Amino acid sequence: MTSSSQVIVVGTGVVGSVIAEHCLDAGLEVLMIEAGPRVSRAQIVENYRNLPLGAKPDATASYPPADWAPHPFHGLEHLESTGPNKYDPTYIRYAGGSTWHWAGTSWRLTPEDMQLRSRYGVGRDWAFDYETLDPYYNMTERKLGICGPADPLDQWPRRDRSMPYPMPHLPLSQGERKFTEVMQTKLGLRNVPVAQARNSGMPYDDRPACCANNNCVPVCPVGAKYDAATSLNRLEAKGATILDNSVVYRVETGEGNRIVAVHYYDRDKTSHRVTGEHFVIACNGVETPRLMLMSADDRNPNGIANSSDQVGRNMMDHPQQGYTFTTTEPYWLGAGPVVNSGIMETSQGDFRRDHAAVYFRLNNFARNRDIAKRAMASGKVGRALDEEIRRLTATSLNVVAAFEMLPDPNNRLTLSAQKDWLGLPRPSVYWDVGDYVRRSSVEYSNPLAQRIAEAVGATDFKPASPEKFSTSKHIMGGTIMGNDAATSVVDRHSRTHDHANLYLPGGGAMASTACGNSTITMTAMAFMAAEALVSEAKGA
Amino acid sequence: MTMKTTLAFFALSASMAAAQTFPDDLVERGRYVATASDCVACHTGPEDKPFGGNHRIASPVGDIWATNITPSTTHGIGNYTEQQFSDAVRRGIRADGANLYPAMPYTAFARITDEDMHALYAYFMQGVEPIDEPSQQTALAFPFGLRFSMMGWNLLFADSATHQDDPAKSAEWNRGAYLAEGPGHCSTCHTPRGMLMQEDGGQYLAGAQVGPWFAPNITSDKAGGIGSWRKDEIVAYLATGRAEGKSQAGGSMAEAVSHSFSKLTADDLGAIATYIMDVPAIAGPARFDLGTAGNRTAEFRGIADPDLTDLGAGAQIYSANCAACHGYDGQGTKDQYYPSLFNNSDTAGKGANNFVAAVLNGVNRKTDQGHVFMPPFGTQTNAFNSLDDGEVAALTNYAMNQFGDGVTTVSAEDVATIRAGGPTSNMVKVVQTLIAVGAALVAVVLIATVIVLRRRKRAA
Repeated sequence: MTSSSQVIVVGTGVVGSVIAEHCLDAGLEVLMIEAGPRVSRAQIVENYRNLPLGAKPDATASYPPADWAPHPFHGLEHLESTGPNKYDPTYIRYAGGSTWHWAGTSWRLTPEDMQLRSRYGVGRDWAFDYETLDPYYNMTERKLGICGPADPLDQWPRRDRSMPYPMPHLPLSQGERKFTEVMQTKLGLRNVPVAQARNSGMPYDDRPACCANNNCVPVCPVGAKYDAATSLNRLEAKGATILDNSVVYRVETGEGNRIVAVHYYDRDKTSHRVTGEHFVIACNGVETPRLMLMSADDRNPNGIANSSDQVGRNMMDHPQQGYTFTTTEPYWLGAGPVVNSGIMETSQGDFRRDHAAVYFRLNNFARNRDIAKRAMASGKVGRALDEEIRRLTATSLNVVAAFEMLPDPNNRLTLSAQKDWLGLPRPSVYWDVGDYVRRSSVEYSNPLAQRIAEAVGATDFKPASPEKFSTSKHIMGGTIMGNDAATSVVDRHSRTHDHANLYLPGGGAMASTACGNSTITMTAMAFMAAEALVSEAKGA
Repeated sequence: MTMKTTLAFFALSASMAAAQTFPDDLVERGRYVATASDCVACHTGPEDKPFGGNHRIASPVGDIWATNITPSTTHGIGNYTEQQFSDAVRRGIRADGANLYPAMPYTAFARITDEDMHALYAYFMQGVEPIDEPSQQTALAFPFGLRFSMMGWNLLFADSATHQDDPAKSAEWNRGAYLAEGPGHCSTCHTPRGMLMQEDGGQYLAGAQVGPWFAPNITSDKAGGIGSWRKDEIVAYLATGRAEGKSQAGGSMAEAVSHSFSKLTADDLGAIATYIMDVPAIAGPARFDLGTAGNRTAEFRGIADPDLTDLGAGAQIYSANCAACHGYDGQGTKDQYYPSLFNNSDTAGKGANNFVAAVLNGVNRKTDQGHVFMPPFGTQTNAFNSLDDGEVAALTNYAMNQFGDGVTTVSAEDVATIRAGGPTSNMVKVVQTLIAVGAALVAVVLIATVIVLRRRKRAA
């Protein structure tokens, strides 16, 4: 049993894996510790195919949690939600992490997204600017294999790129092309191809090309979409040790408040202690702050890395509202990846002083799954039912408004009195999407969505309720980054202000959410952290 | 001019004089001959330095390492004269006089004309970047480690005649014969070998196992060979590695398509096809038009612990690992980028070995038409599902039953053999035993002679 390693990475998701590989390439010794099991892709694929139709839209249904590593899952209480809105993110505790079931969407932040405070007087500014992050975005796009448009007008952000995407964007389906054209001609809005971590028309990273299963969520059956599980064999070949089914429950501090060890339970509830020199906790924006709070000790009575009292606060997400409407002409969405185009330009503007920005995502999930129930509810049977399913599959569109959200210290993760299977306190989150988002829904998003619906000839548009938001899977803010140790948890390298050898990279460090999915920003920050860690290890 | 620069000038002139300067068009012609001969496939190692050697060739008698054939004067063939170069390529004799092993297809390259040989030399001296790095050396077991043992082999099996046109055949046929028998060295893989690893002339192009892959029968037999293929299908196969609804190239044929055939002129591919279509038929089991679309999903879908038959178990492995690309019914995609598994030579005839090899090793083929890539299901770092021998056998048996000839089966042991790189020859053991028995016999005769002589002496 490994009891010591130069670098210890807790979590085997995209952030942990990228950091681990960077350290291995630099010649460092790396131990990765994963709470959940390591499963084969074939198993997940069959889990998914065996689900009843009604459960298939649930991204986690194919990933039943291990007793010792619970995650949000239908019928299992793991994450408590309190407050006016329901906080209901999906993440999985499996080797490879939640990129198993991400769509692969890879929007960058814009320079403005990183300076909300100085430009619009709301939220927080980042600890650095876009130009600082840009080279790490480039590294991320190469590492994950991100395909994206070559036409500058289709690129996001709309500014000169310092490096091209490593692969051309995936073609838009017939319906997506039609939607794009209607948006442009009727509304002057540009629906652009989504940059995504998916091999388009060619193998990349020794993984095959996308063959358009339209199955990206919950699992890419062929590994054409990047997920961190695809990199684990390679990390081991480079010398990493990966412990699975090992739940880290305590981070131990020592002299000078440096981290000296982590403690984990194996699946038999036996505790083990592993010492190291450099520690990376990359368990996502819920489990990382939970672990910090669980590890409170005499030196750190409010929890590890928490002298600022910001650990667990400023929890953020992209609150969503979906619109489904019926078009006059057939669109036949569902060819290609599940998210393949969207309108990003609605996410920028001076209005951000008053309300949140919005990104409109044209969902490209094949429609038959969702509309089958609706068609059956119509009371039709036999051939008439078949025809109704066919009609609605062709003519129903689902557009999702994804809002940015401001960091609010009241949106806070704490430890519940409830315990999980191992006896560890469950995470509890107070959740209020905030007036900034609600105002946007009423004043900005609903009117825009209505224009979009009308442009495609829909007569059944229904505005979304300002009370009802669903949760994305984009967990941000709980270990927020900043230059000031009094108001933030980690510095620009995702290193904790309180502990010189502890890094908390990932979504938790993000100081603003913007509207685009958070994964590649998390990964870019992971590269920054890895560079800092390696230079510290080499200097030591 | 100072003394120093004058000396430098003369030194430079001397080195320039030493290197022959060949005209560009000759070098280009040599490049084409090298492409047609696919030198790069075997002489380039995993470091991807063209012609730098370090490429392991698993032979039935042990690993043979293809060497550095760049014009490096320290580690390559930079010091070879044209005669030495020609002897190595066409006779299998190195500059130092030692014999090459016939993993280097010099028995085929012997057909290369003097003109093409001259061009090839020009290309290797002048068109290839020298790499001053050593290549791994071959060390075979006794007695094959003794390179001179190849001299006897050459006497028995090597034919040193260059290509001669057959006046009874068309110019196109003759061009095809030259390319296929000579530079293209088709028979090196496709002709089965005898006891001593010599090509069996009576079975010319009738199909042979090469490492993990089976190089199939490409004679004109309609069922077992490719006699049912149209000329344009053969040309398309050579150019892209795929003949729709029939077959696709994997393993070293994928390399040959990627590096060699796809880069030849349309006329030359047509010539090869014309010649190949005329190769005398040798019968073999049918391998096209077999199998049907279908699945056994009902045996396990939605059932918590299905009680699976062997075929059902294979079908479930198929569903989990293969169906996403090749279709739930094995039908492939409309454009056949992902080929159908029925009507496919890899699930019929002697195709089971290739099916197993494709599953374990994947497929990697790059032409101007795109990059065809099937991930491996072995233990490679990019194998997302590592199937064990039993699982691969179950999958293969399902595929052969549903999509193939309906009769062929493989065992987990068969899969293990392919996983290990293909069947090994027992030739090493046989020859070593023969030598040992021979030595023992000699000893017995000697002892007997001594005894007889002594007795005679005593008697005398």
